[in-house]
Amino acid sequence: MTTMTCKKEDTTNCFVFEGKMALPNQYFVGRLGSKFIIALRDKKKIMGLKCPKCKKTFIPPREYCHFCQTKIDENWVELGNEGVLVNYTIVRYLGKHLPKKVPYILGQIKLKGADTPLTHIVEGVDFKDVRIGMKLKAVFAAKTTNTLLDLDHFEPL
Amino acid sequence: MAEFYGTTVADIFNTMPKRFKPEEAKEEDIAIGYECKGEGKWKVTIKHGTIKVEEVKGDLKGCATTIHAADAETFIGTTLGKIQAMDALTTGKLRVVGDVKLLMTLLPKIFVQYTVPEKKSSVVAKDIISTITERFRPDKAAGVDMKVGYDLAGPDGGKWTIVIKDGKCAVKEGLAKDLTVKMTMPAEIYVGMMLGTISGESAFTSGQVKIDGDMMAAGATSRFFNKFVDPNAQASEAEELITIKVTNSINCRFATGTAYGMWFKGLKEKKFLANVCPKCGRTQITPREICAFCRVRCNEFVELGPKGTITAADVVYFASPDPLTGAVRKTPYAMCWILLDNASAQEAFCFDIKREDLPKMKIGARVRPVWAKETKGTFTDLLYFELDK
Repeated sequence: MTTMTCKKEDTTNCFVFEGKMALPNQYFVGRLGSKFIIALRDKKKIMGLKCPKCKKTFIPPREYCHFCQTKIDENWVELGNEGVLVNYTIVRYLGKHLPKKVPYILGQIKLKGADTPLTHIVEGVDFKDVRIGMKLKAVFAAKTTNTLLDLDHFEPL
Repeated sequence: MAEFYGTTVADIFNTMPKRFKPEEAKEEDIAIGYECKGEGKWKVTIKHGTIKVEEVKGDLKGCATTIHAADAETFIGTTLGKIQAMDALTTGKLRVVGDVKLLMTLLPKIFVQYTVPEKKSSVVAKDIISTITERFRPDKAAGVDMKVGYDLAGPDGGKWTIVIKDGKCAVKEGLAKDLTVKMTMPAEIYVGMMLGTISGESAFTSGQVKIDGDMMAAGATSRFFNKFVDPNAQASEAEELITIKVTNSINCRFATGTAYGMWFKGLKEKKFLANVCPKCGRTQITPREICAFCRVRCNEFVELGPKGTITAADVVYFASPDPLTGAVRKTPYAMCWILLDNASAQEAFCFDIKREDLPKMKIGARVRPVWAKETKGTFTDLLYFELDK
């Protein structure tokens, strides 16, 4: 048997593979999620679910009240398309899977009639001018994608 | 006959010969008796790939195994899998006299699973004709004066004349003598066309619809009416559900290092290079920098094979996605542990075997590698192993 020697320092045959891995993914947005997106897409309306007992309105939709666990999946209410910025961050990390080119403002917007904020993109305001408490309004996408991005972004009122 | 889960006991027996798989039952010779309280008794005789299903009036005679169901619901439920057979057996609603185990393995093998036939729409031609006047659109039919005759064959058929004149529409039974156009077809074709399940054009070109008279008028009639909507279908219309499908592409880098660099160099030359532990003398394939047992660096490489012996095989029926493409591989395929010649004991190399060789593959079989036409020193150089005959 012929043997050959290749020491640790010998990098003659070393090389790097460059590859791309495809990850096919499917995500079922759920019964309530579907209704929520369809309302955005077809009616340009933002819908929430209200607990009749706690009088709290939740968005994004959820099946049970966060406080008393009452089933609220039928109790849809229409929320306003305007709201107040209650929190925000500026996204600077360049992630390939982000919905938008960085940098952009990711805000939490408490809509009229809602008790929980909705996290979404804020546009049309300079990074140095963005303030908690500023009033924003929803801008719907011209072209539907059948996702949460049928509500394209929020911008100052 | 009682109906449960949308079907009857008789349906199940009537479809048995159709669902029978003769190829699978070549070796079988058995008679199975069925009794379903309130429904009847059946005897199913299976002999060397043939089947005979007969309804029995008196006692079940000459059956190796008999199945007794307390009611039709139990029988249909267990057949469809809506009721767990085990539950029905423990509660006594289902009773088997004879070899239960044999039945449980035999029946799924020789029969295609029974499924409830899809319910056809209960709408008949008359239902549609009766809504014609309310679906009429006077605005679209201004100035139209015509008589359209429908001659619909079949038990649910009939003859009708639709009279359109002065922005009004009337339906009369029978065919008028001075028809503008007459359409002759089976009643179910008419229903299908009106519900949109059959295309009018293809029904006409295939000769199922005959048109006598003014062809243009025949084509125009649909414009004068709102579309017929099946009232049953509308009630059960499914809500729209959204599933988001995305294929993410992830960049990967893999640095070979010295040991794997040698491995790929070997592949380019159509050789299997393993490295040898200086301490225990074990050959490592594929090569690793360090001996996994002795934790010492292995710098010596030897060539193994190229032929080898199968020591174990995993036949895969449920494929995981190919990490490079995301596509799911065709099943079955096998990953074989191949002990290449000159390798130390236990140091087998795992790789694909040629798909065509799967049925003939055995542990201990000799195999040889099949290489790509052009080897480039990458992981696609080695295609698979095949039996060495």
